[in-house]
Amino acid sequence: MKRKTWFTWLALMLAVMLVLAGCGKSKQTAGGGGDKSSTQDTLVYGRGGDSVSLDPATVTDGESLKVTKNIFDTLLDYNDNDTSIKPALATEWTISNDGLTYTFKLRQGVKFHDGTEFNADAVVFNFERWANGNADKFPYYGSMFGGYKQDDSHVIKEVKALDKYTVQFVLKRPQAPFLKNLAMTPFAIASPEAVKKYGDKFGEHPVGTGPFVFKEWKRNERIVLEKNKDYWEKGYPKLNQLIFVSIPDNSARLNALLKGEIDIMEDLNPTDLKQVEGNKEFQIFKRPSMNVAYVGLTATRGPLKNKLVRQALNYAVDKKAIIDAFYAGQAEPAKNPMPPSIPGYNDAIQDYPFDLNKAKELLAKAGYPNGFEIELWAMPVPRPYMPDGQKIAEAIQANFAKIGVKAKIVTYEWATYLDKLAKGEADAFLLGWTGDNGDADNFLYALLDKDSIGSNNYTYFSNDELHDILVEAQTVSDENKRNELYKKAQEIIKEEAPWIPLVHSTPLLAGKANIQGFHPHPTGSDKFTKVEFR
Amino acid sequence: MAELARTPATPPAAMGETESVSLWKEAWRRFRKNKIALVGAGIVLFFIIVALLAPWLAPYDYKEQQLAERLQPPSGEHWFGTDDFGRDIFSRVIYGARISLWVGFFSVLGSVVVGSLLGIIAGYYGRWIDGVISRLFDIMLAFPSILLAIGIVAVLGPSLQNALIAIAVINVPNFGRLIRSRVLSIKQEEYIMAAKAIGMSDWRILFHHILPNSLAPIIVQGTLAIATAIIEAAALGFLGLGAQPPNPEWGKMLSDAKDFLTQAPWTMIFPGLAIMLTVLGFNLMGDGLRDALDPRMKN
Repeated sequence: MKRKTWFTWLALMLAVMLVLAGCGKSKQTAGGGGDKSSTQDTLVYGRGGDSVSLDPATVTDGESLKVTKNIFDTLLDYNDNDTSIKPALATEWTISNDGLTYTFKLRQGVKFHDGTEFNADAVVFNFERWANGNADKFPYYGSMFGGYKQDDSHVIKEVKALDKYTVQFVLKRPQAPFLKNLAMTPFAIASPEAVKKYGDKFGEHPVGTGPFVFKEWKRNERIVLEKNKDYWEKGYPKLNQLIFVSIPDNSARLNALLKGEIDIMEDLNPTDLKQVEGNKEFQIFKRPSMNVAYVGLTATRGPLKNKLVRQALNYAVDKKAIIDAFYAGQAEPAKNPMPPSIPGYNDAIQDYPFDLNKAKELLAKAGYPNGFEIELWAMPVPRPYMPDGQKIAEAIQANFAKIGVKAKIVTYEWATYLDKLAKGEADAFLLGWTGDNGDADNFLYALLDKDSIGSNNYTYFSNDELHDILVEAQTVSDENKRNELYKKAQEIIKEEAPWIPLVHSTPLLAGKANIQGFHPHPTGSDKFTKVEFR
Repeated sequence: MAELARTPATPPAAMGETESVSLWKEAWRRFRKNKIALVGAGIVLFFIIVALLAPWLAPYDYKEQQLAERLQPPSGEHWFGTDDFGRDIFSRVIYGARISLWVGFFSVLGSVVVGSLLGIIAGYYGRWIDGVISRLFDIMLAFPSILLAIGIVAVLGPSLQNALIAIAVINVPNFGRLIRSRVLSIKQEEYIMAAKAIGMSDWRILFHHILPNSLAPIIVQGTLAIATAIIEAAALGFLGLGAQPPNPEWGKMLSDAKDFLTQAPWTMIFPGLAIMLTVLGFNLMGDGLRDALDPRMKN
């Protein structure tokens, strides 16, 4: 009898402990969620993918740059709503008459997050570091400044510190978009001490002068930044903490926003627009469109080597139906590799119409009357220019099937995807581009010139005539002449068809109604310096 | 000498055959009386017929996209509505039956063959062979099965074929253990002793006496395993590791539908129902078979 009561007590105690254990856990999660929404100085930004690296010079992908934009500053920066230039780390500048010498006065009294001082030597150090690299290490530098130190095409002859706060760039040839290039997020000034200290691991320990200080990075989960109390823009930033969380699924991210787990979400499914618009607690942000989504047709692989095949595939895609179904109208069909808002856009070009007979005809002419098999790569993460790569891949797969081209949909993790693309391992692939400086050069030269193979020219398309035009356009400073050159370049690209340009989209974001000071920038990277909760 | 040895071996074998015939007859009689089992068998038969006649039953091509008609609710034109590519869900569910039954049947067949072989060897030879094989089974069973399947597909690459292989592999230890335990008890029977005594070869004993006598539990376990295999295939499909687009695998259809749960519930309901019904059918039939084939039910 005694023994039985003892057992009963034990069982009861165990049961109580179990219940308590359960409580503890649920309390913890609930507390975490409540915390974020009640303290109004932490902003949680929900996005579709994680960053590749936080050393901005080593990457070209938007998910990395939108974070580093807040940790680092560039010499110059863009204005809130377009890509016109304003001072940042450089306060004023002069350009020599021949367009070859740029002299910058630097902001004084700025400190890196590690306490070291920002000065002309730091600027020289950073540019030397990039110029001594290669396409593998600093891919974007090569495609914006014509290569690296040992290359003849390299634009920058030298960078020197005239005094502690004056820096001078001497160019080999004039480069029209030079100032815009300097303002690009990848060319942010990093702390020389930290770069030396961390070496290859700098991408995990970024140290800049920006409004927020890097605190922690849990891969595929979150990146936490904290307020830089000594920021040179007095009184800013307003936020105490800025957290980037990765939620790959668009609907799951929307749910997180609706439940208050995040404050702003990127890549709202256009089909979900109505659901958010009707809700007073939230607001919609539309990012000004400066992007292009495309199907890359790798010009070095199989049947795609043939221009006729690439043209045939261009005829086979029904862009209108794709826009209606997957962008809910928040996009316009693309016929050129750059959006109409960029100076030099060639509106006279006639797009390949959706014409299956014509496509079949071209395939037969190319020697593939019964089609062929290829791989069609689809992005694993939503991008601002393409909210759901898998779905669009399936639609294009069905389009291709109608002309006998059997496409197998393939996908990889985002970082691997870009890595394999850069090596030219894909047949046809989905990708896109958001302009980083608002110049035609940043689309045409960066994405399709032979100099950019290995960095952003994933199609391995190489055309000497196009190359000559694009390089000439870089050196010409007369705006009309430049635009003429770019229009010519778009004609060549249309004829050679290294891409199927798909759409220029208007990326949608949704956020809490009490957020103010947030202006989505056309480049896709936003500085949160002035963002606050009402 | 060889002649002499073989002649006396015939009677026990013959006896075994007559016994098994009556066992199957008896089982069928019992199975017929089990109404629920018959319903299960009916459902299974229905899906088999649907799968076989898919090209004639489906009103549309399962991969034909009509983007303008996406997410249409069920109507006279599209009985089960359309998905987000404007494809006819009714046709896709019909063709999906082919995939699910194919994966279910062949993955289980694979695990039965491999599992039985390993189980028989382990049970009959015992000693270290048994030790090695049984520990191997233990290790495989220590993994959550779906995790092991995901791992295998990750190595082989996502495709329906590889999903089938993965499902077959994770089910091997179940059958292996079952057969091993049967072999352990059967090999103590007098007729096996007798067969050994008259010098019958191991091979003949294994495949003519032990295996036929283990068939009943394999059939029961196999039927039930098809149900699990269908669910596992759907799970892998849901995770994007099974059938690849545009193949209308039910699990893949569910995962495509999850974005439209509130907007277009029919995209999820019909493939979900199809999975539920087939699995239910196989489970009911398997339970019925177990009752019918269990020798303890004889009296």
